[in-house]
Amino acid sequence: MTIADGRPAATMNDNQNMTEPPASPAWGAPFAKRSWAELRYALVTLPLAIAAVAFIVPMLYNGILWAASADGVWKLGAASRFLARKLLGEDVPAPPRPRSVASYKVRTKDGARLAKAAQEAGGKTRVWEGQPGVTVRRLPPARIAELAAAAGITIDGMQPSSAFLSWTGGRTTDPVTWRARAYFGLKLPLAVVGLVVAAVCWLGGLYYLTFPAWWSLGLHNTLGFHITTIGVAFSLCPVGAALLVTGPWLLHGVTNVDCWLIRGLLGPSSPAERIRALEESRAIAVDDAAARLRGIERDLHDGAQAQLVALSMKLGLARDKLTGDGQVDLGRVTGLVEDAHRGLLEAIIDLRTLARGIHPPVLDQGLADALGTLATRSAIPVELVTNIPERPSDAIETMAYFSAAELLTNVAKHSGARHATLEAVHVPGLLRIRVTDDGLGGARAVPGGGLCGLADRVRAVDGRVDIESPRGGPTTVTVELPSRA
Amino acid sequence: MRIVIAEDAAVIRAGLAEILTDRGHEIVAAVGDAEALKDAVAADQPDVAIVDVRMPPSHTDEGLRAAIAIRRDHPGVGILVFSQYIETRYAADLLATGSGGLGYLLKDRVADVAEFTDAISRIAAGGTALDPEVVSGLLNASRHASILGTLTAREQDVLALMAEGRSNSAIADRIFVSERAVEKHISNIFTRLNLPPSDSDHRRVLAVLAYLGT
Repeated sequence: MTIADGRPAATMNDNQNMTEPPASPAWGAPFAKRSWAELRYALVTLPLAIAAVAFIVPMLYNGILWAASADGVWKLGAASRFLARKLLGEDVPAPPRPRSVASYKVRTKDGARLAKAAQEAGGKTRVWEGQPGVTVRRLPPARIAELAAAAGITIDGMQPSSAFLSWTGGRTTDPVTWRARAYFGLKLPLAVVGLVVAAVCWLGGLYYLTFPAWWSLGLHNTLGFHITTIGVAFSLCPVGAALLVTGPWLLHGVTNVDCWLIRGLLGPSSPAERIRALEESRAIAVDDAAARLRGIERDLHDGAQAQLVALSMKLGLARDKLTGDGQVDLGRVTGLVEDAHRGLLEAIIDLRTLARGIHPPVLDQGLADALGTLATRSAIPVELVTNIPERPSDAIETMAYFSAAELLTNVAKHSGARHATLEAVHVPGLLRIRVTDDGLGGARAVPGGGLCGLADRVRAVDGRVDIESPRGGPTTVTVELPSRA
Repeated sequence: MRIVIAEDAAVIRAGLAEILTDRGHEIVAAVGDAEALKDAVAADQPDVAIVDVRMPPSHTDEGLRAAIAIRRDHPGVGILVFSQYIETRYAADLLATGSGGLGYLLKDRVADVAEFTDAISRIAAGGTALDPEVVSGLLNASRHASILGTLTAREQDVLALMAEGRSNSAIADRIFVSERAVEKHISNIFTRLNLPPSDSDHRRVLAVLAYLGT
């Protein structure tokens, strides 16, 4: 499955680009890998299109249902993008998810003027009747206050709409969701056409190509024509061959239309949507940084700090024994000092581990060396393959390192694998980290889980995470990062 | 003394137990979270409970809340809140429950074993043991900061030691002057701050803290 997206990052893909023909020379189409990929795509997306339309159409009944179905529609769109990427190599970045949009009730005597200013700034407004004020949508409160200040309008009070109204308000009119609905409306007939082409050209083509055999077995239906001799039967073979050759080309046309629709209707359309996607990933990056600092503080508090406090107790007690009145119990004091010594070594190890967790010093020597150290420290044998002729930026190297570390930890902890491969390849513009293991498989990104957190962090720099983990294994997790954050 | 320890870091728990048993105290329970602490206090009625602020499950202020609950439900049990940080806010919350039989110390203070055990004895006897950091935090946060600024440097030292819960003789030892001199400083401070004079250590602390406006 694919998580994350943003700006379309360069991808390494075995598939050919969409605009290229499925095969060269033309008659080789039935044997081209691309044709089979498109056939697979046509067959797989038909049920998805049927399911999507069955979900969407009843939900068109009223506004509440529009809002309620928005998240589901987004997920259907995500599934379509995923299939297009997996099967066709058509890489469409995800648009932002539907979200709540608060409107603000502004009490002011200059409602009409504020409404005008807000409209010019891209907001939607409704001036109240009966009492002085205006409701503003699509603008954050700070922006509304700024506009009011600029126009010399006094605001007597500002209040966001209720959570429910924000929720429905954001979702009923969400352009991403409506474009996705339009896509599925167009996709269903297109998928049916695709299926017909597939059935007629592939099945029909095979049938006519092998017609003499069917004819001699008496298993044939020739649509009213009367075929009397084996010669006539053989004359239908070229028809079959022609169908088999034209089928892929027809399907290629259908697929091209589909890709065009996906790009236009399932991707982010406007700069505003791109900004929203960036806002989401920025929020994740900020939260993540704060969480990391909290984690470091916790590690220090529970680790080295606690060790050192315990150590100060031992040494304090030892000093008291040595300076106190009466006989010094040397055995006891030695024991205390030995305990303290041991505690000190543990604290040093703790601090070293923590420091390395913040920034592994070996990373300064380059990602390949750092991954080498990581691989040798792993609990299970890891084979390392690196090809990093040019160094990515520091931030990307660090992120790649920690992604690899997290993935290897996952392998050691959860997969039951006996062997793993860590691969790091850097081509201009793209760094790819891939961890493969021979474990149980079934790894999934669940909200709140480690893989999902990893995907969120990677998304913050416009990278992506790809997980392939069928039950029974093997598991391959690929992290793709741009060369520069 | 009979002591309950609530501390989630096993090394510190063990270290505390070692020091206190060495000094002839009895550790009636050593637990790792706030719920177990409350149960142990209810069951054993110790003289003092030593309580870490951050404990499972949320590692925020469970210990502090448990300490406040114990002071409410078992006023006879002395509480030493023992933490790696001093938060003036926590100190204020604790002192709002009264200052008798109460302590709030940084964990580092345990390095001076004699001083630490002395603080525990003071708490068990109904006195107060506040970390110098707590006191300086309260002094800084005080709404009377401007009047405090009119005290001489020596008087400010004496005030701080007084707020930590120390007796006149302990203050005299600390700043290397005679007990007479300390008494004189204290009477100056009380006059300057317009506090009613009082004798017992505990009531002095109360007076000072009330003045600091916690």
